[in-house]
Amino acid sequence: MERRQDIVLGAIFAALGLFAAVKATAYSGASGTYPMVLGLVLAAFGVIVAAKAGLRGRATPRPLTEHTGRVAVTVIVGAGYLALVPILGFYTASALVVLALPVALGFWQPVYLAVTAAVFVAIVWTVFSIVLEKPLPTEFWQTF
Amino acid sequence: MDIVTQVLSGVFALGPIAAMIGASILGVFIGALPGLNPVMAIALLLPLTYSMEPLVALGMVAGIYNGSMYGGAIPAILLRIPGTPAAIATTFDGYPMAQRGEAARALKIACWSSALGGTASAIALMTIGPILARATLAFGPAEYFWIAMFGMASIGVLVGTDAAKGLMAATLGLLLGTVGLDQLSGTARFTFDQVWLLSGLDLIVILVGLYALPPVIALAEAADLKGLSAAQLKLEPAKVPWSEVRSLVPTWIRSSLIGIGVGILPGAGGNIAAFLSYNAAKSASDDPDSFGKGNPVGVAAAECGNNSDNAASMIPALTLGIPGNVIAALVLGALLIHGLQPGPQLFHQNPGLVGGFMVQMLLTSLLILAVGGAAATKIFAQVQRLPGVMLVPTILVLMAVGVYVINGRVIDLWIMFVAGLAGYVFEKTNIPLAPIVLGLILGPMAEQNVRRALLISRGDVTELVTRPISAVIALATLGLILFPIVAAISRRRRSA
Repeated sequence: MERRQDIVLGAIFAALGLFAAVKATAYSGASGTYPMVLGLVLAAFGVIVAAKAGLRGRATPRPLTEHTGRVAVTVIVGAGYLALVPILGFYTASALVVLALPVALGFWQPVYLAVTAAVFVAIVWTVFSIVLEKPLPTEFWQTF
Repeated sequence: MDIVTQVLSGVFALGPIAAMIGASILGVFIGALPGLNPVMAIALLLPLTYSMEPLVALGMVAGIYNGSMYGGAIPAILLRIPGTPAAIATTFDGYPMAQRGEAARALKIACWSSALGGTASAIALMTIGPILARATLAFGPAEYFWIAMFGMASIGVLVGTDAAKGLMAATLGLLLGTVGLDQLSGTARFTFDQVWLLSGLDLIVILVGLYALPPVIALAEAADLKGLSAAQLKLEPAKVPWSEVRSLVPTWIRSSLIGIGVGILPGAGGNIAAFLSYNAAKSASDDPDSFGKGNPVGVAAAECGNNSDNAASMIPALTLGIPGNVIAALVLGALLIHGLQPGPQLFHQNPGLVGGFMVQMLLTSLLILAVGGAAATKIFAQVQRLPGVMLVPTILVLMAVGVYVINGRVIDLWIMFVAGLAGYVFEKTNIPLAPIVLGLILGPMAEQNVRRALLISRGDVTELVTRPISAVIALATLGLILFPIVAAISRRRRSA
């Protein structure tokens, strides 16, 4: 148990529980009672976790990441990919992320990357668009 | 048509057979790749099963589950890297055997042990499941409510290292399960005037985020740029003599029984079954010092133990709606996708489907012998030549496509992403994920049943605990919650 992290974590859960409990009071009858009770229970557990950490937690920091830079790159590129899906289309955005993310993580073998991206996108296209016929976000060039 | 014919005709149709074979092969691949795990694979698979026949979908789940539990032994033996958490105990003796040049022999023993453990577990599911389902027909709304609470409490307390955090996660799951239109009164709860929230948070979207994104980030952190060389994965052919097979029989029987027992307990998983089986084999051995130095009995015990947990964990899931482990929770998700409510009624309303799934668990256990043979294992070992860094974007794309096709909404991609980031932080801060998922699954069931029970009793709360069965389950739930507190107090007294 790491003291500072668990106090913050417990406080977040307690606040979330209290918010849910207060919000639930606006719902009529049993529709509100159940989530209100759950909110209060969540807040209580949040307080217990924070209190336990405060009383018995270790002061030594527990790393939240093994390699912060790579986590940040993955999260940023991942978020960028999701943002680009509706703009560029599913397959274009997917091909880009398969090419870009390994490079951002230090993998630099252009031919390997290009072949992998092409083969992988072709497999996904075959499975989802040809076999399963699932509608996916339209490619940007198809809108012209 | 009698039930046996109905089950067999369902299972032995082309679609379910192809699904079982394909998924078993895929499962071994997934298990063989460190960083990937069956939970993640099944979470990614579930969105694709919406348009499939239930037995095709469940056959795929069974194949991936059983296949990957064996697949985890391949890197555990060759490289001392467990492909899945359940294969940790396999490294103890598997890797020393590989160092002695006996990798192929260790893999063969692991393959047979996995198949036997899985088969024993499936037989337990087929025999105990229907009996338990019949016994639970006496349950009313109050009992169902307490069953849900018992499941939540057991997962919350037993999974993870801190009971308070486990119960906090379970409550969060229950609360998330209330988002959307109240099914009894039609009141919109926690929707913040967003139309897309009226139908609630999609279970599969949350599941994919929670279980697939944290391993993806972990793969990115490891940044494996090379994969392994062919020389590292070379296997010499080996034979296991009949006398050795016979000597392993007691270990297989003991480990199967341990794995089945652990599987039925909600909250305990394959890794616990493997450790317990390994320790039991060591205790029973005439030469316990040889364990950890390449004793094939150690490999047999660990692999048989972790596979015999598989189908047994479905016993409480299918009969009571309480999953024995996270994969059983995913199976519940698969059933819900197809409009099937887990619980005792499932056995009576869909006997062909439940029976079919139980047979699929059995067949996919036996399939390990075919797809995990010596030649196949050599091929599966080669997947470790893939640079881990290439898996990061490809899994991300599979997550996105899987989530998008559920409702065709971009917002689901973001919900999945946020759930995944939360899952990553939760894992790092020792907040278990399984109780959150279970809360989402059991939350609506718990709420509907407690409100129904109170309607029947005209608001009399004592009705929830005065019926004999509900009183017993309520007491068991209370005992589970109090157990860590009592244990902590007695520990402190002893140390003082």
